[in-house]
Amino acid sequence: MADYRKLWESLGMDLEKHDQLCAVLPEFYGDIYLSQENRPAGMNYYNFVVSEIHGLRVQELAEHRKKGGKVFGSFCIFVPDELIVAADAIGVGLCGGSDFWIPDGEKVLPRNICPLIKASVGAKLSGTCPYFQSADILVGETTCDGKKKAWEILGEYTPVHVMDLPQMKREKDKVHWIDELKIFKDLVEKMTGNEITEEKLKEAIKLINEKRRVLQRLYNTRKNKTLPISGKDALLITQIAFYDDPKRFIEKTSELCEELEDRIEKGVSVFEPDTPRILVTGTPMAIPNWKLHHIIETSGGAVVCEETCTGIRYFENLVKEAENIDEQIKAIADRYLSINCACFTPNEGRIEDIIRLYKEYKADGVVYYSLPFCHTYAVEYKKVKEALDKEGIPVIMIESDYSLQDVGQIKTRLEAFFEMIKISK
Amino acid sequence: MGGQLNCYILFPSHTDGLALEKILKSEKIKYTIVPTPRELSKSCGITIMINPDYEEMVRKILNINPEIKVNGIYTIERKRRGWF
Repeated sequence: MADYRKLWESLGMDLEKHDQLCAVLPEFYGDIYLSQENRPAGMNYYNFVVSEIHGLRVQELAEHRKKGGKVFGSFCIFVPDELIVAADAIGVGLCGGSDFWIPDGEKVLPRNICPLIKASVGAKLSGTCPYFQSADILVGETTCDGKKKAWEILGEYTPVHVMDLPQMKREKDKVHWIDELKIFKDLVEKMTGNEITEEKLKEAIKLINEKRRVLQRLYNTRKNKTLPISGKDALLITQIAFYDDPKRFIEKTSELCEELEDRIEKGVSVFEPDTPRILVTGTPMAIPNWKLHHIIETSGGAVVCEETCTGIRYFENLVKEAENIDEQIKAIADRYLSINCACFTPNEGRIEDIIRLYKEYKADGVVYYSLPFCHTYAVEYKKVKEALDKEGIPVIMIESDYSLQDVGQIKTRLEAFFEMIKISK
Repeated sequence: MGGQLNCYILFPSHTDGLALEKILKSEKIKYTIVPTPRELSKSCGITIMINPDYEEMVRKILNINPEIKVNGIYTIERKRRGWF
């Protein structure tokens, strides 16, 4: 095995603590992912990425930095990859999906804040996330109050830039967001020393659109009656999209899509024909938060789509290719402001998306997932439920953190939900 | 007890693993890339898991491809903790 200890040491990581984290991965991943029957052979690439999760990619980031390149760490799909890539920098999603980091997060944060924030801050403070350690700057946003204040604390440990995301979608909010994108562009140029030219931005827009297209192609295979891939695997692929090299990711995911399309043609499914098809909607699931998908898919359901930030919100809609910098930035602003995050008010678009996706993916029910203390998503449930009731779409709300204590309860509720769906089908 | 036995091939670096993967793919030998089981090594990284029935075949491949370095080949029971 490659010895990455020197690399981790050079990043100022706590090797002993990090080793405790690494010790868990083989069995945890094995139990959840490798126990699946009839997985597509193309999943070997993602097995590889997970196995090397703190290795190969971190080494690539180190090599990039050695050559003078910069790494931008982020937490949210509103941070525009296009501007980072156009300056020959690398953008990576940061850690925040494990219980492992919660105690360190709670040292500086109140307990009643969402696990994603506590785990992210804990990952930085504990020195056990090589992505945090590789980031020259963290790019935050104002999507929720918890994160907004957490940046101030994280800023004591590492450089942070916060993008002020408007909370409404009026014309003046778009003007404000365009301004924020320009401020970010200036920051990226200053940090990297590279000018973001029209040509460079054009290339970057094309590349990131390409990544979105391949994810759309992957998700399209899940619309089929024959499900060629589990929801768990699809979630993993989307999670990996946040930090893998975009070109390699596009190539490998295209290969997988070919295999999945071939499976559809041959009628090869990973689920029994009458398995209830579930649309998951709600808060994001950072690696290794595979809990809900695993419970659903071991309780008689199949996840066919995620209306989440680690799902279609990340890659639906492309940036329109435009000709000059101003038009390009406007096109980026248009695309990002079309995301229907619950931080916006009003947010009717999300309800329309859920109903549209339910139909497109031929779902039989909706699981509304929320991390504890995520007020925007928890509050928005009422409106979503009312709309789904009107459409006659079954929905269940599951609020859960990363701990495994409530697995039994969730399983019981979901089994009953799937049973009800089956009976009324 | 009596769990499934699997054969694990460990490598000094992921490039060796990927080199063997390429051959296994072309020879149509079924394999899975997995995180290295903790009981075999403390180092994080990839391992190739195969059905023990293919072990001899893989050993032959490695013999005729000495440029692919391996740290060892082990057959053990796949541990399952039952997290959920």
